[in-house]
Parts: sequence; structure tokens; C-alpha cells
Amino acid sequence: MLGQIIKKQALILLRNPVQLLLLIGLPMILIAILGTALGSWMNGDSIEINLKVALIEHETEEEQVARFVSDMDKARLPEEAVVAIKESAIETAPIRMLKDVFVSEELSEMIVLHEVNPSEKQDVLDDDSYAALIEVPENFTYETLNEIFLDEESSINLQVFQNEQQEIGANIVGQILQQFGEQLTLGVFLADQGIDQRAMQVDVDELDSEVTVVNQGNPVSSKAYYTIGMVVMNVLFMATAIGTISFNEKQTHVFDRIILANVSRWVYFTGVLITGMIFAFIQSMLVFAFAWIVFDITWPNLFSFFIVTLSLSISVGGIAVLLTAVSYRFHSEVLTDFFSSIIVTMMAFLGGSFFPIGDSSKILQVIGNLTPNGAGMSAYLSIIRGDAMVAISNHIVYILLFAITSIIIAVLSFPRRGVSA
Amino acid sequence: MLELVDLTKRFKQNEAVKNLNMFIEKGEIVGLLGPNGAGKSTAISMLSSLVEPTSGDVRYNNKSILRNPGPIREVLGMVPQEIALYDDLSALENLQFFGRIYKLKGKELQIKIAEVLEQIGLTDRKKDIVKTFSGGMKRRLNIGVAMLHDPEIIIMDEPTVGIDPQSRNYILETVKRLNEEKQMTVLYTSHYMEEVEFLCDRIYIMDQGNLIASGTKEEIKQILSSEHTISIKADRWNDRFIEKLKNNPTIHRVKVEDREITIVVPKEVNMFATLAKMAEEADLELRSVDINAPTLEDVFLHLTGRALRD
Repeated sequence: MLGQIIKKQALILLRNPVQLLLLIGLPMILIAILGTALGSWMNGDSIEINLKVALIEHETEEEQVARFVSDMDKARLPEEAVVAIKESAIETAPIRMLKDVFVSEELSEMIVLHEVNPSEKQDVLDDDSYAALIEVPENFTYETLNEIFLDEESSINLQVFQNEQQEIGANIVGQILQQFGEQLTLGVFLADQGIDQRAMQVDVDELDSEVTVVNQGNPVSSKAYYTIGMVVMNVLFMATAIGTISFNEKQTHVFDRIILANVSRWVYFTGVLITGMIFAFIQSMLVFAFAWIVFDITWPNLFSFFIVTLSLSISVGGIAVLLTAVSYRFHSEVLTDFFSSIIVTMMAFLGGSFFPIGDSSKILQVIGNLTPNGAGMSAYLSIIRGDAMVAISNHIVYILLFAITSIIIAVLSFPRRGVSA
Repeated sequence: MLELVDLTKRFKQNEAVKNLNMFIEKGEIVGLLGPNGAGKSTAISMLSSLVEPTSGDVRYNNKSILRNPGPIREVLGMVPQEIALYDDLSALENLQFFGRIYKLKGKELQIKIAEVLEQIGLTDRKKDIVKTFSGGMKRRLNIGVAMLHDPEIIIMDEPTVGIDPQSRNYILETVKRLNEEKQMTVLYTSHYMEEVEFLCDRIYIMDQGNLIASGTKEEIKQILSSEHTISIKADRWNDRFIEKLKNNPTIHRVKVEDREITIVVPKEVNMFATLAKMAEEADLELRSVDINAPTLEDVFLHLTGRALRD
């Protein structure tokens, strides 16, 4: 029975070329237009980047290097090795190297590194002008040198606090730190050509394990951004399309016919829900496939991508069934029309479909993530930046909670019997 | 077989149906007459289990269907007043969809669809999209969908509204044939008296939510057994003549149309001499004066004071 309801909905949609064009063709056209027209702006060509980054050291690096060198004198190692390690250690002082990166010619135009006293940490965290705060714990350099040269495990990591209101800035700092870790490995290798091979192996992952929390990895191109933006916006129109078809079934008394055929209203309800989910999934996939073929938009983690798309599709099903239930309850399509014309636009705006609104205000970012499309957008962006599944799990949970809430309200609103009179 | 007991439906302040009592026996064609807003559609919706009554009961084979509508739904075919079809699907796709939700499948469904298409005369157009159909074709398909599962009872709510005379006759003949060949029980609502007169064995007349008359056609016409309906024709009317008719105490009702005036008078009164005298006094030349047997329209006019299609 469910299959018949879904098949019938599919036929109705397929026989409506204008609606198909709006649901699938329009997002493709918009991706091409917005991605091209706003590409330079999205890619930062016209944005002057001025970032402030704070660095807090709890202990001076020179003291730690001196302590390490002093330890070397007491180590039972061949004298030649000790000499080589001492020289390399002075060269490899990680925080000095990090500072050098920030004051390099390329970065100093964009980033200003402020060395801050530990007692001012809270002030920096409260100050929104900083894109990130890098905190170097006590013994960091000493233990890092031990780990690099003596292969002793270190449990101390750099702490990086990102400013969520400066998403782009935090992203840049994350990338710099990642590159720094890689450079550090290379530096050690070059400096210690004559040293035991084991000593050259710097465990970069351990060095920046805390940094991966804020790592925003790959940059997002404008076309990828608008592909995601248009998909999460246009799937909402799928909900209204399904809601409109359902309301039409009520108006033409086809729904009464279905009920009189002894079909449970919950079968019909489930049919609308599943139809919304399946069609939203297909719609998303078609637009993403278009973006892949035409703009080479690819996904680093297909599993996460499918999970987000599926969650978003479930929430579209929830909205479709909610619009259906409410329009049946009030014998009016006003809400569906209002949703389609006003609410979707607002949700798309807040969710960041038109531009990254969350970058300008933390409140708007929070509100945007409270919309299913906004949460979906954040999740997709995280995936495309290379974040792990765990980083998007909160968005997925929210989207599913939204879907469940919609379905529950729809269940409570759906009329008990036929509604012809 | 099917019984409505003191059925009432209230929508906020409006009482759409008031204490309606009706019964339908197997194999009957029963007419439900009434003008727009009489409460016919609401009564039908309650009878078919789509709308819950405010009070009263609907019984099928002596069992209430209010709590358990399953048994009535299984044997019921419903032809709503609206075209309850998918406009974007073909006739065949509509029949396939509704057939499957009536749990028909495979060969059985194919045979049934072919049979129904034949009955409603749409075999040649089965692959055409419904929105390309004429009003009459849509009405026929609307009926066809209700016949797919061979219902014992079919409810037709004004199935001929807004269609050409040819399609109308086709539908009336189809209903008659279904009743005769398959002993299908039919509840037929209309505000076309002639349809009800042609089809129905028994008739219920509703007005403003109330049942105002019921019985066989003959029984209902008996309501006017003590009266004659007289049609007077002339090339033109003048006010003096109409005034005299209206002021005559033996004339019960006067209905003036373009070239015809209808009056209702007691059977025992000989009106010919009186009418001739009135015409002479009003300087009016009459073309004809006919005595008619009462029609259902006359009965309805008598009972409600207005015509069915007012």
C-alpha cells in the first residue's frame, strides 16, 4: 500500500515539469550563477584578512632547551650523538619555530601574533578581536624535544582556542599549525642527518593532537559552498511540494476515497513522510551529482556525506508531513504557502545558504544552526573541510531531533477521520 | 441493511443535519433530494463513516459503524460530488491506483479495470491524462473508480452536476443497469427532480438539515393528492390578471414565468370558468389552460415554498 502511495506521488511530480525544474533545475542554475558571480568574494580575493592571534607561554623556551641540553650531558650516549642532538635541539626549539612562521613575510601581513602573559588569558578569550589563542603549557618544549630525540612519549600538547565568531580566521590558524607540525618534522630531519633514524621520527599527530579539534582542513570553494547552500534550501521546497500534493488530495476528496478504501490514515501519513524523505534524498543526490560532474565538487568522507543527506531528508519528510497535517486540520493551504514563500527564505538566509551569515554574528550562527538546513549546511561544510564524523554528530542529532519533533506534532494534528464535510 | 438513526451533525452554531432517520434496503435505488445546503452531503459523509455525527447512529446490518467503520467501507463505493481523481494521471493509472488500494491485484485487477472502462465507455481513452478529459468523461471515471471493487452499496452525490445531456443520460443508464444487473444498492442525491423520478424507488427530501418527506414516488406525490397544478399560457401577462390570481382565496400558490403561470388549487374546484372570467376582466387572451399531475418538483415547492434549484 505504501508503495502505491509513493509511486503515485512520484508520477504526479514527474508529470509536472515546472515543479521539477524548480526543485532540481533551479538549484543547479543558482549554483552556477552564485558560485561564479560570488566566487572571488567567497574565495577571499576581495577580503582583507587581518587576524590577531595570541600566544601564551607558561615557561620560557630557553630554560627548557637549556634543561634538555643539560640532561644530554648526563645521558649515556656516544659523545658524537650528544653533540649532534644538542645542536639540533637548539635549532628545533618548536615555539621559536612557530613564532618564526607567524612573523614570516607571507603571514605577517595577515596575522599579528601577540605574546600574552598567562594572567591575561581570560581577557584574550573574552576579546572577540582575537581569531585564536595558542597556549603553550609548562614543559612543552622540554617534553617535545625528549619525544623527538629520545623517543620518550609526551603527554603535553599545544592548546588552541578558536574564536567561533571568526570561523575563517580560526580555519587559517588551524592550517598554519598543521603545516607547522609538518615543517617541524622536516626541520628535524634536515638538522639531524647524522643521527639515529628513530630520532628523526617526529610524531606530528601527537604534537598537534589538540589542534585537530580546530583544524578546518580544506578550504571551501564558492561553488562547493553554494552547492551545499542551494541543496539545503531547495530540499525545503520539496517538503512544500509534497504538502501541496497532499492538500490537493484533500481538496479533491481523493483522501476521502483512500480512507473509504479502508486504508488507515496512518498508512497515508507514513506514505507522505516516506515520499518526502525519498524525494528529498533523490533531489539532493541529483544536485550533488550535477555539482560533482560540472564543478568537480567531491566529498572527502562519503559515509558522513550520506548520513547528513539522509538526516536532512528525514527532516524534510517531517516537514512535509507536518505541513500536510496542519493544512488538513485547518482546511487551508495558507501555512504551506507561507512556509514556501516566507519561512523557507528566512531559514535559507539564517542557515547561510546565501552567504556565511554565521561569520558575522555568533547569535546568527546559533540561530542558523537551529534550522535543519543551517545544521545540515554546517555539517556538510565540516565534511568538505575534512572534519571527522564526530565533529558533525551534534548537527546530525539536531536535524534528527527536529525531524522527530515535526513528526510528533504532525501525528497530533492529523485529523481522525475523513475531512470532506 | 443500512439505517440512520436520529443522526445529527452540528458545526459550531450551525446544525447541518437534524435528527435524520433513514433506511435503505438491499437492491433499492433511494433518492435523497434537497436544494444546496440542505444537508445531503453531510448526511452522506456520516453514512459513509467519513464524518463523525454529533449524535445518533449509523447501522449497517444492525451493527453500529461509528466505532468500527470497516464493514461498511468494504462494501461501499462512493462517488463524491467533486471529481475525486488525480488530474495528472491517466484514466488507467487512476483505476490502477484505486484498484490496488482496494487490494485488487494482478489479473483480477486487470480484468476489473477493463470491465469498468467498458461500463463507463472510456476504453479508447484509458491512456489519456485525466485533465484532458471533458467534464462528462471525468464524471464517468469518477463513477468507475467507485465501482472497481464491486461494492454492494454505491453512494452517488450529485454525479451529474455540470455535464452535457448525453453524458448525463449515459450515467443514469449506467446506474440503472448496475442496479438491475448486479442488484447494487444505490443512494442517489441530486437536485434534478427528473433524475430522481427516473431512477429511484423511494425518496427522502431534506431541507435545511431536516427530513421533510419520505416514501415512494407515488406516496410523495400523494401529498398533493388533494390539489391540482394548472398551467396557464398566454403571449404576455398583465399585472391586473396576476393580481387577480394572487387575490383569489381558492388558489394556493402562483408561480409566474415568462409565458406560463402555474397555480395550485384544490381538486374539487373547477377553475376554468373562473380563469376565463379573470382573463376577460383583465383584458387578456389566454392560449391554453392545462391540468397537470403533480410532480416531485410540485411537492418540493409545496413543502418548502421554493424550487429545488433556488
